[in-house]
Amino acid sequence: MMFARLCRRFQRSIAGGLLGMVMAGALVLLSEPVRADSYEAALPPELHSSPRMCDYVACTEVLPGADSFSERRGQPPFVEGYKTEGGQKTLVGYVMLSTDIVDIPAYSGKPVVTLIGMDATGHFVGVKILKHSEPILLLGIPESALIKFNQQYLGKFVGDQIEIGKARPEENIIGLDAITGATVTVIAQNQVMMVSGGEVAKQVGILKPQVRPPATFIDTGETLTWDQLVAEGSVARLTVKPQDVGLVSTGQPYVDLWFGLLNVPTVGRSILGKDGYERLMAGLHPGEQALFVVKTDGIESFKGSGFVRGGLYDRVQVRQERDTYTFRDLDYLNLYGVLAAGAPAYTESAIFIVRGKTFSAAYPWQFVFLANKLDKTTGAKTFANFDREVWLPARYLEGGRPAYKRPDAPWLKMWKDRAVEIAAFVVLLVAVAVVYSRRDALVRRADRKNKWPVNAFKYTGWVVSIGFVGFHAMAQPSITQVLTWFHSLLFQWKWELFLSDPFIFIFWIFIIVTVFLWGRGLFCGWLCPFGSLSELLYKVGERIGLKRFQGKLPKPLHDKLKWVKYGVFLGLLAVSFFSMPLAEKLAEVEPFKTTFLVGLFNRSWPYTLFAAGLLGLSIFIERPFCKYLCPLGASLAMPTTFRWFGLKRKQECTSCNACAHGCGSQAIDADGRIDQRECLLCLDCMVLYHDDHACPPLVQERKRRTKAGQPLTPIGQDGYFIPIIPVPAGAAAKETTHG
Amino acid sequence: MVDPAMLTEPVEPAYAAGATTRRLAAEAWDHLWPWSRAGFSRQKLVQAVGLALAVAVTTVWVLAGMGEMGAGALIGWWVGWSACEVLVRLSAKPYVKEGPWWGRRYRAASVMDMLCYVAFKNLLVGALLFLTLKALGRVVV
Ligand code: SF4
Ligand code: SF4
Repeated sequence: MMFARLCRRFQRSIAGGLLGMVMAGALVLLSEPVRADSYEAALPPELHSSPRMCDYVACTEVLPGADSFSERRGQPPFVEGYKTEGGQKTLVGYVMLSTDIVDIPAYSGKPVVTLIGMDATGHFVGVKILKHSEPILLLGIPESALIKFNQQYLGKFVGDQIEIGKARPEENIIGLDAITGATVTVIAQNQVMMVSGGEVAKQVGILKPQVRPPATFIDTGETLTWDQLVAEGSVARLTVKPQDVGLVSTGQPYVDLWFGLLNVPTVGRSILGKDGYERLMAGLHPGEQALFVVKTDGIESFKGSGFVRGGLYDRVQVRQERDTYTFRDLDYLNLYGVLAAGAPAYTESAIFIVRGKTFSAAYPWQFVFLANKLDKTTGAKTFANFDREVWLPARYLEGGRPAYKRPDAPWLKMWKDRAVEIAAFVVLLVAVAVVYSRRDALVRRADRKNKWPVNAFKYTGWVVSIGFVGFHAMAQPSITQVLTWFHSLLFQWKWELFLSDPFIFIFWIFIIVTVFLWGRGLFCGWLCPFGSLSELLYKVGERIGLKRFQGKLPKPLHDKLKWVKYGVFLGLLAVSFFSMPLAEKLAEVEPFKTTFLVGLFNRSWPYTLFAAGLLGLSIFIERPFCKYLCPLGASLAMPTTFRWFGLKRKQECTSCNACAHGCGSQAIDADGRIDQRECLLCLDCMVLYHDDHACPPLVQERKRRTKAGQPLTPIGQDGYFIPIIPVPAGAAAKETTHG
Repeated sequence: MVDPAMLTEPVEPAYAAGATTRRLAAEAWDHLWPWSRAGFSRQKLVQAVGLALAVAVTTVWVLAGMGEMGAGALIGWWVGWSACEVLVRLSAKPYVKEGPWWGRRYRAASVMDMLCYVAFKNLLVGALLFLTLKALGRVVV
């Protein structure tokens, strides 16, 4: 008696003390300053626009040895760095600003602004992150990780095939170590580095363009109408909307362009007429291609208002794989008219000559329109490009279209590289869903004393989820992902980015579907790595003799504290609208990063203490974090209000407290009703519901029947013994005669 | 009588027993129109303030459609209206659906139920309107 009271008092004091510690831990986290130097750093607008870029940023940091720098030159722009010795300037290398060259958004939907230094032989010699908006790098993973990641490029040649992941020497692929937990960010960063470096290396002659076999055209002898040319794809359209470049739409496109290659006899003749076509071809050197462009609508010019003689047309270019072809004034010819029947009226026109001998009309190529995108919040302009791919119809090419293998998109590579693990993960999710949907059969096989028919599956789910999903694949879902979606929805939604993290992507599909089918319980109770870890600790505690110290908070207190998690979630959401960095910082209330992504012992002590404290507390109270603090759990609990399929109840549940007493989640109220938002679908109450030695109405009926010598029929769908309906004597007699 | 199979007492809106099409139409109307005559007779002030705010928030969407509204202000108004909608509904249509969305079981809404309902519905409605305006180029972020 005395001992029991002591135990109870102990439980209460651990509960209070540790809960206090959790709160204190949270406060420590919140009061720690944000350690991020370049997170949303304010950059001078001149950095993006001034010809003297290096006056606004320390270019020497990425190009050691250089003491003076040129103005921005080239298209896309870069600067040259020189070393002065004995009054003589020698070229040391090149410095480029990533946003001058590429518009690849990272996880946040915004680009990582990177200053890149490359020596005169095309080797990277310096990389500096000037600005990023990656929430994941804010706290969970130190920004130094990105710096360390970038250092892997130093000394590497720009023409090498560099990819995230394992090196594949047989395919000449150099592998880079990813940042664990920030795969999406580094995949984007790798593209930024390789494309930026490559663009400059090609301009300065370090990278030679790829030579492709030239096209030999077939003259079909036809003259086609505009619509026919468009339908077959030899004339194509590229439309850019104002909103694509950060402007409010006025109903008019930003630019609406049509273009096509004129060398193809049928196309050239249809557009220019026989004479025009022949005149044009007579003026071209072998291997040169003529491209016509007309603007049919739009508020912007494709030639550029600031175009000067001898200058470069900086708004349009042609791209073929990694090679880019730009146009100078000498590459321009007047287009005097479009003769194809049904051609639209236009306000601007040009013929550009693609002079690179390496360009081949036999392969796919892209027409690119370059623009500046205005960032409303900062007023800064970033570079954006819009392209349209074309591939000539096979009937114009001798021998048809050549064999061509399109390189895989980075996200697709990721899926292919990890195909086996992804398949295993999908199998796990499907298996859990199937097992749960067959719960009726399982709970009937189990009883109050032996819950293994259910638990064998659930515990397997936990162990796999902790080991494989949590520690190995690092696919612990997090509230930060929910916040990131909200923001991507506002800024830039790119499927490719979310697809780059296959596990998280698949997990969320599973979560969304199962929340609406059964509620958050299937994810939280069976598959969340942290939730599983914390309940597993509780179960282990029970097995190793700590049961007497384990307990629940009193129901009235629990019923108050359970609201805290909703407050945490809504608070985070609200804060994220004002300041994403602050929200991300506050999201450290989730110990997930510390536990799975970075590791308990790789973080500063407040984080470790907080995560370890929560896990320690889990030994004595079942899932304290899930019940009271988890913002992710809360965000899933809210839609769980409208889950389709709930658990079963009998009318007697209103007065019987047996299930409520056994519910580890304290989700059953005094009237026997289950709060789906709090229920973690452990199925303990469903085992009881079917157990004729535990569920009081069933026990009663079992005893009554046994006493009356009646058979014990199976338990029906409604949770009661299937009633014995006496067959009327007459009917029975009839049955017998007929039988 | 308490129904242990649902979190709160069962409720039957007038349309619950009607023909399926009539009921679905009435439900759609319920999603879009939070007020009711009963609500007005119960809590005139809340209903009237709600109505006024609804007019304001509609104006905000229209302004946004004309390209006159920033994304931040739009979201702010939408959240504000959602909070008000919770209050209006609690006095005018204080019930939520239980179980499958195509079913005909309803139950009394607690504040939390209503909060979840309005948050979820308005997230969908808001996202739909917002993305439409964004696609049309009327809201730029
Ligand atoms: S409440 Fe949070 S930590 Fe717990 S299981 Fe759910 S998501 Fe995981
Ligand atoms: S005992 Fe029943 S109500 Fe409680 S968490 Fe388990 S399944 Fe849900």
